[in-house]
Amino acid sequence: MFIGAIGCEPLQLARVSLDGSHTLEVYRRNGGYEALKRVLAGMSPDDVIAEVKKSALRGRGGAGFPTGMKWGFVPKDSPKPKYVVCNADESEPGTFKDRYLMERDPHMLIEGMLIAAYALGSKACYIYTRGEYKYLIDIMDAAIDEARAAGLVGDKILDTDFACEVYTHTGAGAYICGEETALLNSLEGLRGHPRMKPPFPAVAGLYGCPTVVNNVETLTAVPDIIKLGGAAYQKLGTEKSGGTKLWAVSGHVNRPGVYELPMGYDDMEKFIMEDCGGMTGGKNLKAVIPGGSSVYVMPASDIIGKDVRMDYEGLVVAGSMVGSGGFIVMDETVDIFESTKNLTEFYKHESCGWCTPCREGTDWLVKVFKRIARGEGRPDDAQLLLDLCDNIEGKSFCPLGDAAAWPIQSAIKKFPEDFRRHLLPLANGDGDMKDGLPTL
Amino acid sequence: MSNELVKVTINGQQHEVEKGARLIDVCREKGAAIPSFCYYADLALQASCRMCLVRIEKMPKLQTSCTITCTDGMIVTTASEEIEKAQRGMVEFLLANHPLDCPVCDRGGECELQEMVFDWGGLEERFTEKKNYYPEKFLSPIVANDPQRCILCKRCTRVCDEWMGEDAIEAGGRGAGTVIGTYGGWLNCSQCGNCIEVCPTGTLLDATYRHQTRPWELSRTTSTCNFCSDGCQLSIGSRAGEVMRVVARDRYVNGINGEFLCIKGRFAHPFINHEERLRTPLIRYRKGGKLIPATWDDAIEFVAEKLNALRDEHGADAIGVIGSPRITNEANYALLRFAREVIGTNSYTATEAFSLVPFFENLSAPLATHKEIRHAQTILLIGGEPEELQPLTARQIRQAVRNGGAKLIIINRVPIRLKQQAAQFVHIRPGAEDAAVVALAARDGGGEVAARKMGVEASEFESVRHLLDETAGDIVVMFGGELSASAQAALAQLPATLGAREGRRFLFHPLPLFNNSIGVHDIGLMGDSQSGELTPARMLDAAGTELRALYMAGSFLPETLHGREDALSKLDFLVVQELFQTATTAHADVVLPAASYAETDGTFTNNDGFVQRVRQSIPPVHQAKPDWVITSLLAAALGVDFGYQMSASAAFLDMAKHVAAYEGLRYPLLKDESKPVQAKHAGVGSRDISRELEALRQAVEGLDETAEKLTETPEVGHELFKISTLTGKVPQFHLLAAGNPEPPDVLVSPLYQITIDTTLRREKMAIAGD
Amino acid sequence: MSQQFTPHNPLPQEAKVPAEIAVFSAEVEAEMDRHLAKYPVRRSAILPLMFIVQRERGGWLDPPGVAYLADRLGVRITDIWEVATFYSMINTEPVGKYHVQVCRTLSCKIVGADKITEHCAQRLGIKPGETTADGRFTLSEVECLGSCGTAPMMQIRFDFHENLTPEKVDEILSTCERDEYVFKS
Ligand SMILES: Cc1cc2nc3c(=O)[nH]c(=O)nc-3n(C[C@H](O)[C@H](O)[C@H](O)COP(=O)(O)O)c2cc1C
Ligand code: SF4
Ligand code: FES
Repeated sequence: MFIGAIGCEPLQLARVSLDGSHTLEVYRRNGGYEALKRVLAGMSPDDVIAEVKKSALRGRGGAGFPTGMKWGFVPKDSPKPKYVVCNADESEPGTFKDRYLMERDPHMLIEGMLIAAYALGSKACYIYTRGEYKYLIDIMDAAIDEARAAGLVGDKILDTDFACEVYTHTGAGAYICGEETALLNSLEGLRGHPRMKPPFPAVAGLYGCPTVVNNVETLTAVPDIIKLGGAAYQKLGTEKSGGTKLWAVSGHVNRPGVYELPMGYDDMEKFIMEDCGGMTGGKNLKAVIPGGSSVYVMPASDIIGKDVRMDYEGLVVAGSMVGSGGFIVMDETVDIFESTKNLTEFYKHESCGWCTPCREGTDWLVKVFKRIARGEGRPDDAQLLLDLCDNIEGKSFCPLGDAAAWPIQSAIKKFPEDFRRHLLPLANGDGDMKDGLPTL
Repeated sequence: MSNELVKVTINGQQHEVEKGARLIDVCREKGAAIPSFCYYADLALQASCRMCLVRIEKMPKLQTSCTITCTDGMIVTTASEEIEKAQRGMVEFLLANHPLDCPVCDRGGECELQEMVFDWGGLEERFTEKKNYYPEKFLSPIVANDPQRCILCKRCTRVCDEWMGEDAIEAGGRGAGTVIGTYGGWLNCSQCGNCIEVCPTGTLLDATYRHQTRPWELSRTTSTCNFCSDGCQLSIGSRAGEVMRVVARDRYVNGINGEFLCIKGRFAHPFINHEERLRTPLIRYRKGGKLIPATWDDAIEFVAEKLNALRDEHGADAIGVIGSPRITNEANYALLRFAREVIGTNSYTATEAFSLVPFFENLSAPLATHKEIRHAQTILLIGGEPEELQPLTARQIRQAVRNGGAKLIIINRVPIRLKQQAAQFVHIRPGAEDAAVVALAARDGGGEVAARKMGVEASEFESVRHLLDETAGDIVVMFGGELSASAQAALAQLPATLGAREGRRFLFHPLPLFNNSIGVHDIGLMGDSQSGELTPARMLDAAGTELRALYMAGSFLPETLHGREDALSKLDFLVVQELFQTATTAHADVVLPAASYAETDGTFTNNDGFVQRVRQSIPPVHQAKPDWVITSLLAAALGVDFGYQMSASAAFLDMAKHVAAYEGLRYPLLKDESKPVQAKHAGVGSRDISRELEALRQAVEGLDETAEKLTETPEVGHELFKISTLTGKVPQFHLLAAGNPEPPDVLVSPLYQITIDTTLRREKMAIAGD
Repeated sequence: MSQQFTPHNPLPQEAKVPAEIAVFSAEVEAEMDRHLAKYPVRRSAILPLMFIVQRERGGWLDPPGVAYLADRLGVRITDIWEVATFYSMINTEPVGKYHVQVCRTLSCKIVGADKITEHCAQRLGIKPGETTADGRFTLSEVECLGSCGTAPMMQIRFDFHENLTPEKVDEILSTCERDEYVFKS
C-alpha cells in the first residue's frame, strides 16, 4: 500500500516511511517537538491561535470548520477546566488516514495536542480512538509514556511551568461516536447519542466544560503550522483552505493508499489515472466517492476531462464534497444500486436511534433496498426512496441522517440505469418507468 | 427566564412574549397547533421526535420549536406545505414499524399517536415491508410492555429519573433496535406507574387494567386521592358501578400533580369494589356473640338506644367520638357536631398518627403550595421521608433542585434517598430531631449541646444557617412526625426567630400521613393545647374506666392498638363505621358499612391547605352509606336534625359557617381542580415562645448521646408497599411487599404465574404466551 | 382482577441484581484503577472497564461481570445495560475465543469481501452471526474497520488481517483451529 506525498513536500507524511518512525528518538531527530519548544519559549496562547487562523487550516474530520475560529470560541475567562479532545474515531467508510498517522507518527499527534492545549489553557487532553483500533491505543500509550519520561507530557513540560496530561480513551464500536457531541457523551460513559447544539462544545463540552474536539489530521497539522508559520502553511494550499490534505484511496486502483496532496491539487483524473497507478485491470472508471461514504457519488463523466480541483470549493463545484478524504474508486463492474445498498445498510447499522427520521428512515430504506435486491422492485420504488430521503434530509437531529440520504439521492440522480435495471422486472413496460424515475 | 418582553411574529401575527420563553409553548398559547411527542414541560429537552418543526427566518432548514427560545424580532411560520410534508413524513416514519391494530391496543381511543395520525397522517400507507417484532411482556406486576408500539419519545425514562429519582427504566440497544427496558427485563422500582401515564402510545400499559374495558366506555370523575396528605387530583374511571382505573392524564384532570401519581393513588383502588367490603350493618346483640346482619333502621335504632342509656348512666364524657384523617371534612365535622351537640361530650379526637396542633397554634407563615415548592430557593426538610410518604412533595423537591436550582437541606436520622439531591445532608442520631430545631432557633448558644446530642459538628449547622441567610427568595420548611409539641411550636416561629430579610419569605409544608390530616386539625377535632389534646391512645387507656362507649369512623391505627389489644373489649359499647372487617371491628357491637372516597361527595384538605373536592364516582357498594350521612341519621335518631337533607354541599356550607379556616367557601368555588382554593390558616404572627423553647432545651439536654446512627438507606417501597387494610386488598401489593420476585417467564402476568407455592401455572402461560 | 391469588402467603425474596459478583486478580484491579485515574468522573471509565471485564469473563459481560461493573462504577445495573447494548463491540452474549469479524462495507465489498465471508462460513460451518458448536469460533460481518486500502480484511478479536485471499484465510484459521494462533493485542 502506497503512503506518501504527491505534488508537494511531505508534511504530515514526512516521517512515516522511516523505520522506527513511531519512536520519540526518530521523531526528535527529524525536528520533532521543535514547534512545542518554540511555542513554550516565546509565544502567547493568542499568538498560537493567530498563527492557526492565518494558516487557513480547516478541520479534517469532515465538517471542514476553520480550526482557528473554533479555538477562538473557547471562553478565555471561564473558571472551568478546559479540554482538548482528539477525534480518532475514524469510522467513515473509505477513511483510513488517521490510522496511519497514529501508527507511524504518534508523537506528531501528541505534539499537536500539547500545542492546542497550551493555546486553549487546557491541562488534560483525551484521544478518543475507536475500539477496533486497539493496537493504535497501545502505540499511543507507549508514545505518551516515552514522552512523559522525556519531560514532554505531565508537569513542567520542557522545564517550563506548562503542565498537561494526555490520555487515551477507547470507543467500542459506534460510528456515531465520531460526531463530536456523541463522542463527548461516550467519553462521559453514556450512550453515544449526539447532544443538542447550542451549547457548542467550545462553550460547554466534556463534563460541561469548554472543549475543543479536533480530528487527528487537524491536530497533526499544527506543529508544521508553527514551524513554517501560518502564512507559509496556508500558501501550500489555497487561500480558503491552507496546507496539505490526506486522501485515503481505496477501491479499483493499482496503488491504493494514503496520499498527501496540496489543498487544491488540480486534477482528479490525473490523480486517479497516474498518481494512483490507474484502474486495476485497465477497466473503465465508473464512479468515485471522493470524501468518505457520506458525500455525493460522482460519475466518471463528471471527472474525466473536467479538471476537478481537489479542495472544498472545487469538489462542491464538481457536485460532491471533501468530507473526510476517503476516496473510493469504483470501476465499471460495480453496480451502483448494490454499492448504495451496501452504504445504506451501514447507516442503518450505525444510526444511534435517537431521532425519528434517521432511526425509522434508514430502517425503512434498507428494507426497500433488500426487497428490490430480491427482485421484487416496483416501478415507483425509486421515487419512494427519494421521498424517504427527502423526509430525512435536514430534519434529523444530527448530520448522520443527511449522510444516509445523500448517497442515495446522488446515486439515483447520476446512475438511474443501475436502478432502472433492478426495477424493470416488475415494471410493465418502459412507460411506467418515467414516473418511477426522475426523468433526467 | 426574565420578564423582559420581546416581539415575536408567528404566522404573520406579532406578539409580545417573555424573552427566553420556549417557542413551542408560545406558539401553542397563541393558537398555532404544533404536534410533538418528546417535548414535555419541565422535563429535560430531547428534540428527538422531530414533530415540532417550524420555519424561522434567517435560520437554515426547519427548526424544532421545542429547542428554540424566543428572541426579539423572531419571525416564525408554523404551517406551510414544507412543514406539513415534514410532519406527515415523521408520522409516516413513526408508523412504519408501529402495529396498525389499534382496535386490539389497550391505548386505543386515548393514544397520542392515533390522534396525531388523524391530524397529520398520510392518506395511503406506503410502508409495505415487514415490521420489526418484539414480544409483549411484563416489566413488573403492574407494568405491561409492548415494545413494538414504542416511538422512543423517552418520556418514561425521563419521568423515572427526573420525577422519581429512580432511573429504573432506560433505553437499550441502538438504531431501529432501540427499546425501553431494564437489565434482565424486570423493573424494580417504586412502581409509581408514571411511565405508563406519560406514555403516548400503548407501549407501557397498566397491567391491572389492561384489556378490562375501553376508555370511551368509562365515565370519569375528577376527585382527590385518599392516601397521603399531598392530595393529588385524579380521574376515577368507572363502568357499571365498578371503579376500573385511576389516572391523572391531564386531558381528564388537571390538578396540582399534573400527570403524576404514586403507586397507591394509581393502583390501590381495587379495594373499592373488593368482595370483602362490608355489605350490611352488623349488630352483636350480646358480648361474645356473633356480628349479625341487620337493617339500617334496626342498627341506627339499636345504637341510639344504647348511647342514650350509657349517657344517662355514666354521663356524656364517658362516650367518646373518634373521627378519621381518611374521611371527608363533612364527615368529620358531622362527628364533631355529634359529639358536642348530640352527646355533649368533650371526649373526641381523630385517629391521626401525630398531632399538628402545636404547629398550627404557632404558625407564623403561610403553608407552601406544591407549586411554591417547585420554585423555592431553599428547602429545609427536618425528619420525614417524602419519597415514601408524600411522593408528590418529593417530586416537587427534585424538580426544584434539578430545574430550579433550589438548595435542599436535609436533617434526618436515616440517609433517605432524597439525600442525592441535597446540597447539605445533616445525619443525626435517631430521636434527635428536636435538637435540630434547637440548633436552628439557638440565636444565643445552646447550639453546641444540640449538635452534640445529634452527633454532628456545630459547624454543620453554621452552614445550614448560612444557606438560610443567603436565601433571597422562598424558604420552604418541611417536617415529619418526629418533632415533639414544643419543637413544632418553636419551628412554626422560626421566621420570627431568624428575623426578616430582604426578599426572603418563609413557607411551611407539614408532612402528615393522611389525605385529610390537615382537615381534622382545621375542624378542631384534634382539640387544642388549652383543653388538652385527647389522643386515641389516651382514650383507649381510659377504656372501661372514664370511657364506657366509643363511636368511631374508621379503625384504630395498628400502632395505637399495639400493646392495648384488650382495651377495646373493656368498652361497654363500640360502634365502628368501616369498609372492611378490621382488628377494631372485631370488638365492635355495631359495625356500619361506610362508603369509600369513590362513593361519596365531600372535601379533603391537603398539606398545601388546599380544600379539594371529593366526588362520587359510583353508587355506594352494597348498603354502604357516606360517613356524614350515617352520623346525621344517628343524630336524628337521638333527636337532633343537622339539617343536611342528604346533601353534602349543605353539610359543607354548615361547616364553612363554623370553621374559621373554611370561612366563605362553597362547593361552586371549589369546582375547578386546576385552581385549588387554600384554606385560611390565619397564623398568629410572631409570639413569645421562650416557654416552649426552654422546655425544648430541657428535653434536648436529656437526650441520649450514645444512640447509634442509622446508616442504611431504606429500600425503595418500604413504606409505599406496606400492606394495610386498603392496599392489602390488592394482589400486586403482596407481590411487591414480598420483594417483587421476577417470574420465570415475563410473557405472562406474574399474578398468573406465581401461585402461593410460587409454582408456575403452565396452562395459563400457554394461553397468554404467544 | 385475578382473585385466585391468596395474599397472605408472602413470596420468597428474589435477587434484584445478579447474586454473584465477579472477582478479579490484583493485576486486573490495578489495570482498572489506571483507567479510573484518567477521569474526573468515574463513569467515564465504563467502556475501558467493560473491555477488561469482557476479556476476563470469557469474551462477554456475564451477569457477575455486570454486577461488578455497576458496583465498581457506582451506577445502577440498568445503566450498565443501556451502555453495553449501545456499542457493537460489547458482547452481551458469549462469543467464541476466536471472534472472526469480516468487514462488509463498500471498499472491502467491491474487492471481494463477500468471497471472504463466504469462505469463512464454509470452513467454520456457520453463518455470519453464529458461533460454532464447540463455542470456539464466532463469525461476524462488521462495518468499515479502516483497512479500505488493504482490503479485503478481517479482524480476529483486535488483530487486523489484510489483503486477504481465501488461501490466507485458510492459513490463519488453521492456526486458530490448532490453537497456535497468538493474539497480537
Ligand atoms: C455522523 C458523523 C460522524 C463523524 N465521524 C467522524 C470521525 O470518525 N472522525 C472525525 O474526526 N470526525 C468525525 N465527524 C466530524 C466531527 O463531528 C467533528 O466535526 C470533527 O471531529 C471536528 O474536528 P475537525 O474540526 O478537526 O474536523 C463526524 C461527524 C458526523 C456527523
Ligand atoms: S440523525 Fe438522529 S438517529 Fe441518526 S445518528 Fe443522528 S441523532 Fe442518531
Ligand atoms: S417535540 Fe421537538 S423534537 Fe420532539
